[in-house]
Amino acid sequence: MSDKPARPARAIKLNVLNEPKESYTGGKSSLCPGCGHDQISNVIISAAWENGIEPHRVAKMSGIGCSSKTPAYYLGQSHGFNTVHGRMPSVTTGAYAINKDLLYIGVSGDGDSASIGIGQLIHAIRRNMDMVYIVENNGVYGLTKGQYSATADIGSKKKKGEPNKTQPIDLCALAINLGCTFVARSFSGSKKQLGSLLKAAMSHKGFALIDVISPCVTFNNNDESMRSYGYVKENEITLHMTDYIPHFNPVEEIEVPEGHFRDIELHDGSTIRLETISAEHDPGSAVAALTALHEAESNQKHVTGLLYFDNTKPSLAEDMGLVDIPLVDVPNEELRPNRETLDKINAALHS
Amino acid sequence: METIANDFTINIATANGTGSQSANLILLQSLFEMGVPVSGKNMFPSNISGLPTWYIVRLSDNGYQAPGNRTHIQVLLNPATWDEDLASLEPGSVVIWNENAKMEMNRDDVISYPVPMSALARKINPKIAKLVTNIIYVGILAELLGIDQEELEAAVAKQFKGKATAVELNITALGLGRDYFKENLSKNDPYVVEKRVIERPQFFIEGNEAAALGCIFGGVQMLAWYPITPSSSLAEGIINYIPQLRTDDDGNATCAVIQAEDELAAAGMVLGAGWAGGRGMTATSGPGISLMQEFIGLGYFAEIPSVFWDVNRVGPSTGLPTRTQQSDITLLYEGSHGDTQHIVLIPGTVEECFEFGWRAFDYSERYQTPVFGLSDLDLGMNRWACEGFEYPDQAMDRGKVVRERDVFEAFEEFGRYLDVDGDGIPYRTLPGSGMDPILYRGTGHNPKGVYSEKPDDYFELMQRLRRKIDGARDDLPAPILREEDECEIGIIYLGSMENTIQEIDDILEATGIKVSQCRVRALPLHSGVEEFIRRHKTTIVLEINRDGQMYGILRKELPNELITKVRSVAYSDGVPPRAGIYAKLILETLKEGDN
Repeated sequence: MSDKPARPARAIKLNVLNEPKESYTGGKSSLCPGCGHDQISNVIISAAWENGIEPHRVAKMSGIGCSSKTPAYYLGQSHGFNTVHGRMPSVTTGAYAINKDLLYIGVSGDGDSASIGIGQLIHAIRRNMDMVYIVENNGVYGLTKGQYSATADIGSKKKKGEPNKTQPIDLCALAINLGCTFVARSFSGSKKQLGSLLKAAMSHKGFALIDVISPCVTFNNNDESMRSYGYVKENEITLHMTDYIPHFNPVEEIEVPEGHFRDIELHDGSTIRLETISAEHDPGSAVAALTALHEAESNQKHVTGLLYFDNTKPSLAEDMGLVDIPLVDVPNEELRPNRETLDKINAALHS
Repeated sequence: METIANDFTINIATANGTGSQSANLILLQSLFEMGVPVSGKNMFPSNISGLPTWYIVRLSDNGYQAPGNRTHIQVLLNPATWDEDLASLEPGSVVIWNENAKMEMNRDDVISYPVPMSALARKINPKIAKLVTNIIYVGILAELLGIDQEELEAAVAKQFKGKATAVELNITALGLGRDYFKENLSKNDPYVVEKRVIERPQFFIEGNEAAALGCIFGGVQMLAWYPITPSSSLAEGIINYIPQLRTDDDGNATCAVIQAEDELAAAGMVLGAGWAGGRGMTATSGPGISLMQEFIGLGYFAEIPSVFWDVNRVGPSTGLPTRTQQSDITLLYEGSHGDTQHIVLIPGTVEECFEFGWRAFDYSERYQTPVFGLSDLDLGMNRWACEGFEYPDQAMDRGKVVRERDVFEAFEEFGRYLDVDGDGIPYRTLPGSGMDPILYRGTGHNPKGVYSEKPDDYFELMQRLRRKIDGARDDLPAPILREEDECEIGIIYLGSMENTIQEIDDILEATGIKVSQCRVRALPLHSGVEEFIRRHKTTIVLEINRDGQMYGILRKELPNELITKVRSVAYSDGVPPRAGIYAKLILETLKEGDN
């Protein structure tokens, strides 16, 4: 015990649940200093805190790779599952079937999502499972020391080796074509935009994909790389300014913009406000979203913002036709039919 | 002529997709209802329509359920296999053949009954003549063998679930068959069917349906599956029972069903369900288990309850997808990379398919580990006699799950992988509870569930996992023993060999050998298996595969002094085991041992 006099209590900012932000932090990161993924982890912490999510009601899901290690670094009060490479969507689907009331936040990488796990990603989107699916996309495999991934841009060159010649897979374009109900792209350096999109994704009922360009400082942050901090800052096309307005009193006040804006109401009553910058983007139009992606790619740019949104589709929970309470809370006696029921089945089989 | 009653085998050769299955099941059901001990084996191709199919009906007052060692009555409809089928018959066999098949009867040493089956069928309805042809041969057999008309009509009604038009049409066709035989042929073979008194009423059911029902009574909460023969009917059985047994008045179910994109995803979903605190399962076959290997290892290492049913078909690779084998034993027992060992439940009867259906979940949650049900195509897809299913004799065991805060706080120290009770089974909390929130992982971890690469942490973890699964041995279903006092030859066998073992035993005993039986019902092996081997002079391990997989497990686990007492007899050709083949192999093996 120290005999120093106690410091005067500093006012600690609390969220709508009267929780300090510390309730949402995790362990110390073991990623490379400056890694974009750590910035994303910080945004996840802020977004969950600001959104007033009960920390223990989150399920942190991930696959394998640098990105998939990050659930250890945020939301230390939540259970998590660091599963196998590319298969996080299926594990999440099973968990969701048993407990549909948790908020599932999946974190994946470009190797995990665009190569080994692309099939599972596609089918999770197809089922419109309620989850936030963050791709921490840096165009290279980090843990195996810098091989190109399937999202590496054509002509982009990583620190070592030849420029990439293979056509990249654009996960946002893929998701839009699959009818994904929430598709956004952001940049790990754009804290505010990513925060708004993430909070909106948490308020969405259905599958929310956020593809986040997250530079790899060790293997792919050189000037010739199209996923370096420098390149993305110079070549980002922002579709709109984004603000998130929760259905309760926000931690920070949101100013009403002066120019033209569009409010989109989310499932829980919160709003994402899209403030027009130059031309207005209609996130209800898949064609507009695909056009924006295509034009950006042709010009070697990265377009960010809420690309596509659709709140008309039923989510997997509705499709499964289950009882209202999560299956994990159904008592044993309702899971096992009684003795008389088996007697009747035996009798019917004997008849 | 001396008659032979209830002791012969009928082989019906047709083409797949012609509707013969309904006719065959009517024949089987009517014999069953007459009290005749009978079994039916469907030898179907991997094809929807056109390839050859055989249905083997064995009648046996001895209760032998295996397909017999030879065919006594051949029904010939399929030109594609005609010559081959004819050539395989022993002299004196009966052949009932379709005169309209444009094929020749080239054997004069058989008892021949030509019947214009197609022409008779066309008389009833030319448009569906192909379908009706099948029921014509049932009519012929009924007249030839003396099958009760009443039982036949009841079987028709059962088969077509009382649909009036179908029932009427089939009964007319049966009559045409009967009449044709009466008017145009005369019986000159010894085979007859005799009614028997039914002492204990039974019904016919497929193992997959029994297992499905067992899973429902096990409280399955999530079924994730990918269609694959011969397991699909297990998953579909569960799906069919959910509306009746697991749905409330508003139509909302307590079991989720997800048709996965592949077996990898199905396995992932099962683990996700177990992680979240639910009873998740999948049903698949060998190729699916191959794809699930990575997740099986994760389930073992992260200690996630999960249930996998493997309805074994013939491998390797796509193999013979519609034939039976016991070849996934080691695949399941040591599934996934690294050192693993899994609990495998091996039913040998339809009653056990039901029982292990519910027990698998209890074991899986008790031991927090993947549990496998190992059935096979023969048990899963053929009809087996059943006296009825017994209600679970114990309440659902949800294992060491800490659900309440005060219980959690009463722990002096809590760690997800801490061996508090010394049985290797740790306590767990559930996602959403906020208690001991850990990041589950397939990487090395310490007793607290925190990432660790420390040598001691890894070593201790692996030792505890071994202790945990070893501790299950005598808690798992004990072997079924039928022992002779002499303890001369012991036979260890498993699963669907149950159908054939008594016939093998009788053949061997006829040579003067005393044979004891030990049916293994689970892995890791119960201590009773070792004791059985110790008591017997020589033990044969009998299995339906090439390499003797169960024998290999025994050799690995038995004390050295017992290994020399154990010999392997393994044989598989895709067909359900025939007693003659195995008995011969056993005799040869015993002889080799004597030299």
